Amino acid sequence: MAGCQVSPEAVRYDPAFSREVYRLENGAQIKKCMQCGMCAVSCATRTKMNYSPRRLFNLIKQGKKEEVMKSNTMWMCTSCLMCKVRCPRGIAIVDVMHDLKNLAIEKGYVTHPQAAFYQAFWKEIVSRGRVFEGGVTARYYLKRGLGEIKSALEMKDVGMAMLRHNRLPLLPPRKIKGLGGLRKIIAKAQSQRKEVG
Amino acid sequence: MRYSFYPGCSMEGTAVPYRKSLEPVAEALGMQLEEIPDWNCCGATVASGVVGDYTQQVVAARNLALAESGNLDVLVACSSCFLSLALTNRRFQEDEHFRRQANEALAEAGLKYNGSLKVRQILEVMANDVGYEQIRARVKRPLTGLKVAGYVGCQTMRTLPWEFDDPEHPVVLDRLIEALGATPVEFPMKTRCCGSSQALPAEKVLVDASREILESAAAGGAQMLITPCPMCQLNLDAYQGRVNQLHQQNFALPVLFFTQLMAIAFDLPPETWALKYCIVSPFTALAPLGIR
Repeated sequence: MAGCQVSPEAVRYDPAFSREVYRLENGAQIKKCMQCGMCAVSCATRTKMNYSPRRLFNLIKQGKKEEVMKSNTMWMCTSCLMCKVRCPRGIAIVDVMHDLKNLAIEKGYVTHPQAAFYQAFWKEIVSRGRVFEGGVTARYYLKRGLGEIKSALEMKDVGMAMLRHNRLPLLPPRKIKGLGGLRKIIAKAQSQRKEVG
Repeated sequence: MRYSFYPGCSMEGTAVPYRKSLEPVAEALGMQLEEIPDWNCCGATVASGVVGDYTQQVVAARNLALAESGNLDVLVACSSCFLSLALTNRRFQEDEHFRRQANEALAEAGLKYNGSLKVRQILEVMANDVGYEQIRARVKRPLTGLKVAGYVGCQTMRTLPWEFDDPEHPVVLDRLIEALGATPVEFPMKTRCCGSSQALPAEKVLVDASREILESAAAGGAQMLITPCPMCQLNLDAYQGRVNQLHQQNFALPVLFFTQLMAIAFDLPPETWALKYCIVSPFTALAPLGIR
């Protein structure tokens, strides 16, 4: 957790980054944040975050690009919706977190392991139309490389138990028939989004 | 009671026991489920982190477009699929600009969605379309004496808050447990996050979150947990051993899909109970009911 002391120097604002974030799909909502901290006390993974959502929103307002993009806050968000339900300003905080993950990936801030997981998941959708857990897992470890083998070994008991109880099919289900169409839909949606952005 | 049915990817993998119990239970209650042909992954809450909400919702909308001609309510059992499909549907109905844009994208595959359908969560359907009285009437093996923690999970109630039950302290699952003849226990963590998809990237998040939930269920005297969410079920069941290992605990709480418990209470054929898929054995908890 970051320190809470007041900076001895004046805060240098960088409005370029703030404006970039405000232009994201749900980004403008951040301007409504009144720093009440309801999200911070509601968050299920707050203790695992560098900054609570409240602090992260403040950093965005200050234009602190590196702090925001490198933080694990959005990656620790599990989309449990507690903050979204409780926010007195009606900010869809979870949806803002989706945007921030998206922005971090686009800008190449992908060192948090969740970024690899998210990309593996999306790749699975694009290549099959459905998500196969074994496929996501394989893609994840390929992306993360050898460093992650240790954690994989630590979790091997979980995997073995799942295999024993037929919870981990080794073969993927068939690709959807309309995969070609789905890919066209995705391509179109992504080009539309670029035009708007 | 006819529905378009969206199973979701997990029902083809880790949540096979959900589908194996859900379909016969639905049939026993007079529900007809018609699977959406060639459905695709809804994107869950993960895809939008890579490609943004818009693209994710267009991907989800392909399913609604495929279902629309059937003109039936879309029944969703997975909480994350429900979130994705219900919010997409809402946007089609309320945001004209979005609808126009999204339909341009869907047109690339010859599809169109007008926003005419309703997306329904299975617990809400159980409570409102089927009704607790109907469920109670179907019970042939009352689960008398069984203490159950109804773990609703986080997204089920909070996707469309205040439209159905309380987003933080819902009672829908507790009423269902009662209807089956079992006893719902006091369970303050019933909608707390289980750690979701952090299993691979940050196991500690999941293990810590799941520990709190299991502790809360155990403190209420529960002999088992039931849930409507595939992710919650997998985390609490498959990672319970890791919770015990990393937190020096001795939890042995079986975690079933609520439909598995319904199949038992309805006395449907044992294969519909799908108990062999349970990683934490349910047989100690179920022994008093004569189930071995």
